[in-house]
Amino acid sequence: MSFYTRFLRRCSATLILVALCFTATRSHATVDDAHGFAMEAAMPFVEQGFIVREDYWNGEVKSGQKLMIKHQMFKGNEYAFWLGTANDGVTFELKVLDEKGKEITIDSKTSGMFASVRVNPPKTGTYSIVFSVTSKKEVGLFWALAYGYR
Amino acid sequence: MIGFIHLEAKSLSLREVARNDEQSFKGVASGEIRIFVCFTMTRTSFRYFTVLALASAFYPTSVLRAESAKAAVQEFDPQAFPGQVVDDVVVPVPSEVFSVLDKLGEPNWRHELRDVDFPKSSDRAKLALMFGMVVAEGFVSVQAEDKEKVKDIGREVINLATALGLIKAVRPHAQAILDAADKEHWSAIRKEFDQTQKTVRDSMEQMKDLDLSQCVSMGGWLRGTASVTSVVGKNFSADRAELLNQPMLVEHFLVTINKMGSSMKEHAIIADIAKGLTGILAKMEGAVDGFTKESVSEIGKTCDGLLGTIKAAK
Repeated sequence: MSFYTRFLRRCSATLILVALCFTATRSHATVDDAHGFAMEAAMPFVEQGFIVREDYWNGEVKSGQKLMIKHQMFKGNEYAFWLGTANDGVTFELKVLDEKGKEITIDSKTSGMFASVRVNPPKTGTYSIVFSVTSKKEVGLFWALAYGYR
Repeated sequence: MIGFIHLEAKSLSLREVARNDEQSFKGVASGEIRIFVCFTMTRTSFRYFTVLALASAFYPTSVLRAESAKAAVQEFDPQAFPGQVVDDVVVPVPSEVFSVLDKLGEPNWRHELRDVDFPKSSDRAKLALMFGMVVAEGFVSVQAEDKEKVKDIGREVINLATALGLIKAVRPHAQAILDAADKEHWSAIRKEFDQTQKTVRDSMEQMKDLDLSQCVSMGGWLRGTASVTSVVGKNFSADRAELLNQPMLVEHFLVTINKMGSSMKEHAIIADIAKGLTGILAKMEGAVDGFTKESVSEIGKTCDGLLGTIKAAK
């Protein structure tokens, strides 16, 4: 193997490693950013007495792709869900459906990189949170969905 | 011919119901064929309209109503969701249920407190389950506003985290719990217990101990549910009992156990939990007209039995 070939192989390996490190750092940061924006959406709710849960959902999704999460809620509590993304210039869809598919969202707001909805579950049971994030610029988007109750 | 028309009409109504909003759904469910036809006219091709019009003309209205009602029942099938279903389940913390019980009355939470002197063990499954239990006990002690109990629990959190090899991650939370207990800052303590549990589960997941992470959630849910059944049993009402309608969570735990590695799945405690949860799920699914006092008591007994099994296991 010539010196030139060895040199090229080493360069390629280094470039791949750097690219992988960069991708890993970037994806970690953007999911965290998405959660950060979800928490920004939560701030006014906390002032109103909502308790924010530490656990949350997150991931990366194709622009416009609908996602659904099943979640247990208790009648008597009021819930708020906060959806954040790390990308600007996006549009959100966020709604909560009961077991029959009827929307029970009572208040929804969107602002920049986050959206929020409030829910008073009419019964104790499983509900579906359906949402999407759509961007004209990005193909894949990082998202985080957090919730609180009072 | 009629059979063919019927099939067309049925598939059309299902498609429309799946696609459209609640207003259209009401039109279908009420059996008002005229409303339904007008509605479909605006959205479907003339061919479909013709078929539907023929269907309504030839087919008995009552049958079509029955089919429409059937379609309404099938309206929202999460399995058929035209998107991606996120499998992750966030298990509610016990205080989510406790806060409703507080709104429905004033339970004596001090009566619900239990001993937190957990036995020493090197069994990591048992330790993880006990960790979940002790955090849930923490939520009960916050509800009871019992400062000394919170401190005892904070110390037990340290003991269990040490045994699990997670003390470095947990110590700041445990210290924050002890500090907030001195100040009787209950909301801060509640937040710390939630953070403690998340930190422990995240640490386990980083170490590829997904099964152990699920054990923490299961232990917490069992202890929280035991408290709820106890409070509901002491002052029974349909509203309080409805809080036990959590079949999705129980199913989630059963699926989780089923996906566990064979050594964990065959662990005596986990096998007992699977058996107990199966019984609880049957009671939840059987409570179509609401929970009876007896069914609440039976769920409570199952949870208490499992909590005892976890503590007593060698």
